[in-house]
Amino acid sequence: MPVNQGVQDIGIDQNKYHFITQDEPVFRSGRGLNENVVREISAQKNEPEWMLALRLKALKVYNSKPMPTWGGDLAKLNDVLDQIYFYVRPQEKMERSWDDVPTNIKETFERLGIPEAERKILAGVGAQYESEMIYHSLKEEWDKKGVIFDSIEDGLKNHPELFREYFGTVIPAADNKFSAMNSAVWSGGSFVYIPKGIELDTPLQAYFRVNQEQMGQFERTLIIADEGSKAHYIEGCTAPVYSTDSFHSGVIEIIVRPGAHFRYTTIQNWSNNMYNLVTQRALVHENATMEWLDGNLGSKLTMKYPSCYLVGEGAHGSILSIAYAGDGQHQDTGGKVIHAAPNTTSQILSKSISKGTGRATYRGLLKVHEGSVNARSNVVCDALLINETSRTDTYPYIEIEENQSNVGHEASVSKIGDEQLFYLMSRGMSKEEAMAMIVRGFIEPIAKLLPLEYAVELNRLIEFEMEGSVG
Amino acid sequence: MAEAAEATGVTWVASGAAGAASEAGSGGSAGALPAVEGITAAIHRGAVEALAADEPTWLRDRRLEAWSVYERTPMPTTRLEEWRYTDLRRKLKLDRLKLLPWQSRKFEASRAPVALVAAMAADEAASGHVIEIDGAVAQVDLLDELRSKGVILGSLRGSVRAYPDLLEPLLATEAVPATLGKFQALNAALWTDGTFLFVPSGVRLDLPVRVSRWFAQPGRAVFSRTLIVAEAGSQVSFVDEALSSDFAEQTFVSSAVEVFARDGAQIQYVSLQRMGWGAFHLSQQRTIAQRDATLDTLNVSLGGSVSRVDLSAELRGPGANSDMLGVYFGERDQHFDHNTRQDHIAPNAKSDLLYKGALDGKSRGVFRGIIKVHKGAQRTDAYQTNRNLLLSKHARAESLPRLEIEADDVRCSHGATVGQLEEEHVFYLMSRGLTRPQAERLVVTGFLEEVLSRLPLGGVVEKVTGIIEERLRG
Repeated sequence: MPVNQGVQDIGIDQNKYHFITQDEPVFRSGRGLNENVVREISAQKNEPEWMLALRLKALKVYNSKPMPTWGGDLAKLNDVLDQIYFYVRPQEKMERSWDDVPTNIKETFERLGIPEAERKILAGVGAQYESEMIYHSLKEEWDKKGVIFDSIEDGLKNHPELFREYFGTVIPAADNKFSAMNSAVWSGGSFVYIPKGIELDTPLQAYFRVNQEQMGQFERTLIIADEGSKAHYIEGCTAPVYSTDSFHSGVIEIIVRPGAHFRYTTIQNWSNNMYNLVTQRALVHENATMEWLDGNLGSKLTMKYPSCYLVGEGAHGSILSIAYAGDGQHQDTGGKVIHAAPNTTSQILSKSISKGTGRATYRGLLKVHEGSVNARSNVVCDALLINETSRTDTYPYIEIEENQSNVGHEASVSKIGDEQLFYLMSRGMSKEEAMAMIVRGFIEPIAKLLPLEYAVELNRLIEFEMEGSVG
Repeated sequence: MAEAAEATGVTWVASGAAGAASEAGSGGSAGALPAVEGITAAIHRGAVEALAADEPTWLRDRRLEAWSVYERTPMPTTRLEEWRYTDLRRKLKLDRLKLLPWQSRKFEASRAPVALVAAMAADEAASGHVIEIDGAVAQVDLLDELRSKGVILGSLRGSVRAYPDLLEPLLATEAVPATLGKFQALNAALWTDGTFLFVPSGVRLDLPVRVSRWFAQPGRAVFSRTLIVAEAGSQVSFVDEALSSDFAEQTFVSSAVEVFARDGAQIQYVSLQRMGWGAFHLSQQRTIAQRDATLDTLNVSLGGSVSRVDLSAELRGPGANSDMLGVYFGERDQHFDHNTRQDHIAPNAKSDLLYKGALDGKSRGVFRGIIKVHKGAQRTDAYQTNRNLLLSKHARAESLPRLEIEADDVRCSHGATVGQLEEEHVFYLMSRGLTRPQAERLVVTGFLEEVLSRLPLGGVVEKVTGIIEERLRG
């Protein structure tokens, strides 16, 4: 293979992600957020009374909470929120088969490569186009096993008791301003239930997509992994680029019951005008394991700190976080682990790359409550700086109330070493190729945990982003 | 906003405010606040005016300006990131405090408290001594040979009249001005006395300058300041020891410490805080290191019911170097809060911080540190480590080592650990014939000695390890 093949050749086609399809939403709420919008959403979805009450209460909480002053710059967010539509419903009925999906929407998916992905190894695809699942398939064997992989709306409709038992228990509306907002206007997302002892070999996938200009997306996902089960859920995002700011605020709640093992993977590649403010948290019971794999490549500002609440003895939490901040981007990401039971263990590994005027921030919390004897945790953060104008921050919070525990945190910041570059260039690589290779090596510990096609895509995105970084 | 102020390097407010707030919860409440906070029967503008009555105009103006900053600045709450773990509303009862007006004092060894005399006995070898009692300097001595070389060691109050040209530009202006925060402002308005040390170019002091500050009166608020200036190529070490009896009513001691190392100067500054129960000690320190200067600090916090240190090291000149060391040992319900900052403004500078604490009883240790590498501070080396030992079931530790990096050619790292005594180490010592308590004491002092051994200043290491061992024996 010729070594001097340019990086451009393997870069991805940006236009692939920057297209707009024409469609006609069936219903669109007015701009901005108020009680009428909330009532309208609930009515459109034919929801039970308790859900409407929950939404309205959440709206009050949202209005009572001040805008956060920490993290990223949210100064302009209110202007954005006044302009967006909090609910857009493109179609009325759920689609079960690919043939039923309208052509223009299908085109969108074709360009994103979804059908191929499905043909290959992907088992279930819940694709979120605008605010609701319109295409949702589930492998037959999973139906047989009793696995539920529904849109969140169908979850509420078809499994009301299970839904009501867990909805809002891991992340109550009052948790923070944006979880309150989401609780008031949520629309779309997944409802997943893995029955006792069931292990799924292939991941559950939801492909999220925002298309309508100035439309907020408030996906809500509720996952229950019952005792001894094992599964992997993948959420990937990409969005067309628009000139005005856009907004996404999801809430992901996961209950990992005793002995279960659950992994949740997000590769976020929102367009660079998106505010992405997400709350995701897992309640991890006895001897259960929760793994968050969180990749943040896109958006204008992301504030997202996947959390594990280790509430059962022997629970384990793991957070792997990778962030890429290019020009004008701020990735304010990290993870939180709360040790609230004995013999719990956790680890956080964070890798970030800042390029151009990008800013990557690691923000984390590690808390060990009194009584969590033998809790152990290790946090490692590495940051790579590409240009003089790049910025990186590390804000780990460590709060320990139990003396029979051991926790550690380490972070380091570096630039690409001249010696490393020189070595690779002496082997015939261009500087750009050498840099891309070093960056790939830097993220490799996380990339290798991704399913193959995601790892490939991640590597391509990194290469693409590294173009023009020399000089 | 904070960003803009940060660029000047003269604020404690970091931009990465209340991080995990949404999940960690913040202890404060956002209730309505009165327009002016912290004005009490004793602490008010009249008190500032009384202090300034016979002072030169520049100082009087400076005090009054500081007072107006104090009035304008809200009382810090736990909603403020840098006070997140120290709740002043619970820990500091300002309205119960009385001021201690400055009065001339004489030091009489025969009538001095035993603890003070004992502490001073270990400090015999020195370039000079300062004894401060309840916020007034009672005695100063300096070797004649140094005096003749132009070294100045004196009470701050006396130096205002004696050396106005040296003090006016530097006192509460560049290093710890009123604009840094509520308590910096209060100190700049109400300080009564303190120490002034000036070392001329090229003069080197072989022995440390030793300051003993004694606080005897309960229920008081005492404000004292230290100003150290080491001119180009000079060298000095300075040990500032704060001592007191136990107090039935809270006593509040506010110390502002300003340290300037000019080009190529070398300074070692040591603060040894050994106050009694009931004391709230607040030490707000800022060190400024110019080109090729070395400015090392050691903060030892052992006493007081509440002990808060704000230390900001500014690496202002290329080639500057700061080692920042700290040790704390807590028992009962002692509360220690160390808030540090490594401000890299110039390229090619280095800073290395190591703070270690052992916490027993129901004590609590907070470490909050930041490395800030400003734009253009290329080839910075900056490190930060905080290690905590929890010795009892109810002790707790919070650690927030933070980085903010705005240059790309840097080597920065930080680490923090919280853990328990290594049973293997204890076991090993027991296998050599020590009892368990002896072995544990040895492991703890060994843990803390790692820090002290990096700044081997005569008398300090022995003094500190002696105190810790004594306290470990209970």
